[in-house]
Amino acid sequence: MAIIETKQLVKTFGGLTAVSGFEIYLDQGELIGLIGPNGAGKTTAFNMLTGVYQPCSGDIIFLNESVVGKKPYEITQKGIARTFQNIRLFKDLSVIDNVKIAYHQNVKYGVAAGIFGTKKFKQEEQEITNKAMELLKIFKLNHKADEYAKNMPYGEQRRLEIARALATQPKLILLDEPAAGMNPQETQALMELIRFIRDTFGLTVLLIEHDMSLVMNVCERIYVLDYGKIIAHGTPQEIKSNPKVIEAYLGEEVAI
Amino acid sequence: MAMNKKKLLTVAAAMAFGVAIQSLIWLGVLNAYYAQVLTTMSMFIILATSLNLINGITGQFSLGHAGFAAVGGYFSAIITTRIAPPLPGPIVFLVSLLVGGLVAALAGFLIGLPTLRLRGDYLAIATLGFGEIIRVLFVNWKFVGAAAGMWGIPGYTNFLWAYAIAVLTVLFIVNFMNSSHGRACVSIREDEIAAETMGINTTRYKVMAFTFGAFFAGVAGGIFAHLIRLLHPQSFTFMFSVEILLMVVLGGLGSITGSVAAAVLLTFLSEALRQFAELRMVIYSLMLIGIMLFRPQGLFGTKELSVDMLAGMKSKFKFSKN
Ligand SMILES: Nc1ncnc2c1ncn2[C@@H]1O[C@H](COP(=O)(O)OP(=O)(O)O)[C@@H](O)[C@H]1O
Ligand SMILES: [Mg+2]
Repeated sequence: MAIIETKQLVKTFGGLTAVSGFEIYLDQGELIGLIGPNGAGKTTAFNMLTGVYQPCSGDIIFLNESVVGKKPYEITQKGIARTFQNIRLFKDLSVIDNVKIAYHQNVKYGVAAGIFGTKKFKQEEQEITNKAMELLKIFKLNHKADEYAKNMPYGEQRRLEIARALATQPKLILLDEPAAGMNPQETQALMELIRFIRDTFGLTVLLIEHDMSLVMNVCERIYVLDYGKIIAHGTPQEIKSNPKVIEAYLGEEVAI
Repeated sequence: MAMNKKKLLTVAAAMAFGVAIQSLIWLGVLNAYYAQVLTTMSMFIILATSLNLINGITGQFSLGHAGFAAVGGYFSAIITTRIAPPLPGPIVFLVSLLVGGLVAALAGFLIGLPTLRLRGDYLAIATLGFGEIIRVLFVNWKFVGAAAGMWGIPGYTNFLWAYAIAVLTVLFIVNFMNSSHGRACVSIREDEIAAETMGINTTRYKVMAFTFGAFFAGVAGGIFAHLIRLLHPQSFTFMFSVEILLMVVLGGLGSITGSVAAAVLLTFLSEALRQFAELRMVIYSLMLIGIMLFRPQGLFGTKELSVDMLAGMKSKFKFSKN
């Protein structure tokens, strides 16, 4: 059963049609790639899925319910988390605070409990700290818990952003070019990590990448976007040999 | 209140300090002038820390604090002069402060709901406009003396009242900041889109910060009314908001201890400059420009001064002497 399904999504900016007729579906537990050259409309599609942009037309069905028109925080609360292409961490906060903030939507104690420091408040804060540390450990960031996010190397910031998204306890996670700016070893390790969290957290993952060689080994199915339209869809093997895809990437190396 | 041992000790020490100062005032060691300055200082601590909750912690640039103080001041004075329930003075005063704070909070809520959709400069202008509208309303409201102001307000405020409320305000804000709800506010300041994407209802927390901030500003207004014993719409001009803002910026946006330190510093500075009243605002403006140029993060940045930090500094100092 599809966890998420989009129907004929369209987004225009003034005269520019960034995305049109966008139809994808993801089944529970899948790890799917969305690839396409720069400017193809991948990030725009993510922004519609997460409520940052409102689609001009079309529908998004998540867990059998339309999420079009919902605010980003409502969509996150329903179980879609994301990262950003141009990392949006809380730069001037500590690494652990970045993760703790993402736990907020599941916090049960109220404002008054926090102000009066009730037992419930203390217990839950302790739990949040523990959970955040566990998550950081998975991402090998636990030794940096008290550092400012902005002081970490680029690759670690990318990992922290994924950890933070996971802290919202999503069912579906959208990763926007998580390997951008990483060297080949880092990228390889990251792809393994993504597969690992998908398995351990029972997640569904949609991964954007403009470099198609990266997603070939890790994704089960791939959608190819070009000029705002899905031009191909299939297994990595099918995508590799699809002439439309090769044409779209003409000029770029399709070396796999 | 959230109390671990260290915090309990800090609060107890702060309160003991207040009682000691008040005793010196009662004994006449500190004269009426000093009592007034110290009380004003406590009031500014309330105003600066509560504005910091809005501007520094939540990152919403408000210039409406004088307006909220005016609402609180007038409504608390209405309780003590127009209604004047036949109860012991301190109880009437406490009730009046609560009423003043709550009406101001209501105003904050009602104004925050539509205006907090605005960002940056637009929000600043909208809140500034609100402050002016409030002032004009009081100028025209006969029940509270209109332009002539409100006279004969009982002098319930003394140093200990103002100081104790300042301590409670600081405790409230610090505890709020250290809770998940406070972190939600900080995340809005850091990156509103990311905060929203983390599942935080940013509008709710902006309005909450605005409402809490307005409440304490209202309480401070009530303290002011019963200290000066006379309310005048002219007491709550735009420059009053700027003065509070200067404290927040000087202390560091987001640092509560910074706001406290800056409130103390600027209250005394303003007293020292009393003879040069016309120059005071020029000096303030120059200070604001100076901070922006040389230390835009303020004295404390977003950091908090704590007993641990002082102890840390001391031990470092010892270390370097060895
Ligand atoms: N907020 C916006 N306003 C105007 N144009 C935009 C906006 N966001 C994206 N675009 C345009 O939409 C197209 C698709 O962009 P984007 O989704 O970022 O592509 P990709 O992520 O695939 O590189 C580009 O031509 C881009 O300039
Ligand atoms: Mg993109």
